[in-house]
Amino acid sequence: MSTWISVARYQLTDRYTFVTGPWTILGLDFLITAAIVLGYPGRNGQVYAGALSAIYVYLVVTGALGIARQLPFALALGVSRRAFYAGTTLLAAAIAAVYALGLTVLQLIERATGGWGLKLHFFRVPYLLSGPWYLSWLTSFVGLALMLAWGMWFGIVYRRWNLPGLLGFIAAQAVAVALVLVIIGGADAWSSAGRFFKALTVEGLTGLLAVLAVALLAGGYATVRRLTV
Amino acid sequence: MREMAGLDEGAPLFVQVAERLADEIADGTLPEGERVPSTNELAAYYRINPATAAKGIAMLTDDTLLEKRRGIGMFVAAGARTRLLAERRKRFAERYVQPLVAEAGRLGIDADELVTLIRESSHGQGGTRP
Amino acid sequence: MTPAISVAGLSRRYRGQLALDNVSFDIGSGSITGLLGRNGAGKTTLLRIIAGHEFASAGSVRVLGARPVENDHVLRQMVFVREDQAYPDFRVGKAVQAASWFYPNWSHERAGALLEEFRLPLNRKIKKLSRGMRSALGIVIGLAARAEITLFDEPYAGLDPVARQIFYDWLLADYAEHPRTVLLSTHLIDEAAGLLERVMVIDRGQIVLNSGTDELRGGATSVSGPAIAVAEFTSGRPVWNRRRVAAQESAVVAGALDEADRARAAALHLHLEPLTLQQLVVHAVGSPEPPARERTSA
Repeated sequence: MSTWISVARYQLTDRYTFVTGPWTILGLDFLITAAIVLGYPGRNGQVYAGALSAIYVYLVVTGALGIARQLPFALALGVSRRAFYAGTTLLAAAIAAVYALGLTVLQLIERATGGWGLKLHFFRVPYLLSGPWYLSWLTSFVGLALMLAWGMWFGIVYRRWNLPGLLGFIAAQAVAVALVLVIIGGADAWSSAGRFFKALTVEGLTGLLAVLAVALLAGGYATVRRLTV
Repeated sequence: MREMAGLDEGAPLFVQVAERLADEIADGTLPEGERVPSTNELAAYYRINPATAAKGIAMLTDDTLLEKRRGIGMFVAAGARTRLLAERRKRFAERYVQPLVAEAGRLGIDADELVTLIRESSHGQGGTRP
Repeated sequence: MTPAISVAGLSRRYRGQLALDNVSFDIGSGSITGLLGRNGAGKTTLLRIIAGHEFASAGSVRVLGARPVENDHVLRQMVFVREDQAYPDFRVGKAVQAASWFYPNWSHERAGALLEEFRLPLNRKIKKLSRGMRSALGIVIGLAARAEITLFDEPYAGLDPVARQIFYDWLLADYAEHPRTVLLSTHLIDEAAGLLERVMVIDRGQIVLNSGTDELRGGATSVSGPAIAVAEFTSGRPVWNRRRVAAQESAVVAGALDEADRARAAALHLHLEPLTLQQLVVHAVGSPEPPARERTSA
């Protein structure tokens, strides 16, 4: 356990990847969105930016870089693959929890200020992030953790099989998605799938995403165990 | 090669370390009862592995030239110099005199001439102590 | 006592190529061992397997009595300094600090002194360091970690002679105070010769020599002089290598020489020169015959 915490500290030494990067991107994104809204003062309706996704996308990169760059040196310092992965997962969970809290607080401010005085919906997303604050936090947490776990698996695949592996990994994911679609289509189940998603509450969706995140973590763990440096 | 305070690759390093210490005992630089440098001091000086230095010391301990005083270190044993010199005198003949005579013979220098040469050389150096 | 590192029947195959071929040896704890061999001989693969970074195809590796692969108990007592280490995007000072978190015996004092001796700029990004400085960083970490099992793989690529001297002196000094098991792969055999208690020579994946250095020293001598005299002196002795030009000959005689041998060589006007550890290793690997026009075979 103490090694896990050391690994988390060690990972966090790369402040840019884990802290500065995601929030810089989000901040810039927010400013650009606000500038655009200010530039078109004629619009009185509510503005849905959708640009919040930037931090989610960035965390995929964070997860991938954190693993790919920091793993070899950690192993040289006598850290096992298992401990490295556990420590990184620990940090990812902590980061997802804290950042989700940050996003939730910003969402509350956005609500209180009438969308930053611009009727801007940046931190509020209809359906997904529009419920009570604790539900927004939970959904954000699971979403961010999912992105980090996904990125970590990318990083491990890259460390283990380099670029060909990475391309193969992306291709395999595309094939998996296509397969699911084909199966749904083959079973003539589009309407029932539609009904399922229509009936899905945010809580239910959050649960599904959590299951997916755990599955990605398990996949990363299975891949890291036979990794060589 | 890395400088090792004059040690060379021709013989085991521990033997050379032991010989250096023995030389100092023989010429009185390290008098009887004097503390000899520790393994780590020798290792640092010669830039060799401490285990090698320890083997050199052990060699002299086995020959009873050094003795261990618990908790203090290694010391030159009583009578070490006398024993060492006796042994070295014995080796002197085979190591130096025999080759000297052989080479003299090849150059046509007979025994009397050789003795004269040795005397002259000895005077030139201001005489040698026995 | 259990050996610190014990390797038995170890093989590693890469696509039909044997990188390690049935390697077996034991290394006692509290020793400095040199791992020698040509490029591609298998040194790095062997060290990587000992460190648990690579997997064996066959055979067993035990470090401190247990399998090292994914074994936190063993790995926590190990540091592996590699020539080709991939570092994170850290500054020098941060990398050293981060390394200290993983070692209970870490010496901040040693690390600080070494950083100064090597003149490493703490604020510089590792990727901006020269090759030699990067090697120096690895050495700082490897020594300050004071790990029971310390593996150095060609730790001084690009280091100048002064810095190499610093490495040797500090390794010895720190080792004397805190004995541990050091396995050092190197090409610079003569430079490191004084440090090593034992050398293992690996060639084409096989251990071709595994011996205490002091048992090797004086174990072979180059004899040169008039060909007739060399022939007389060497008759009945194992000779490794002979070279000849006109009436002069040089031969390498295996086995230690005694006082009588030396006297005889002097009488024959022969020049004797002991082979250095490096030359002995070259012989162990099997040096190619020099492309001389005139030579006699051994």
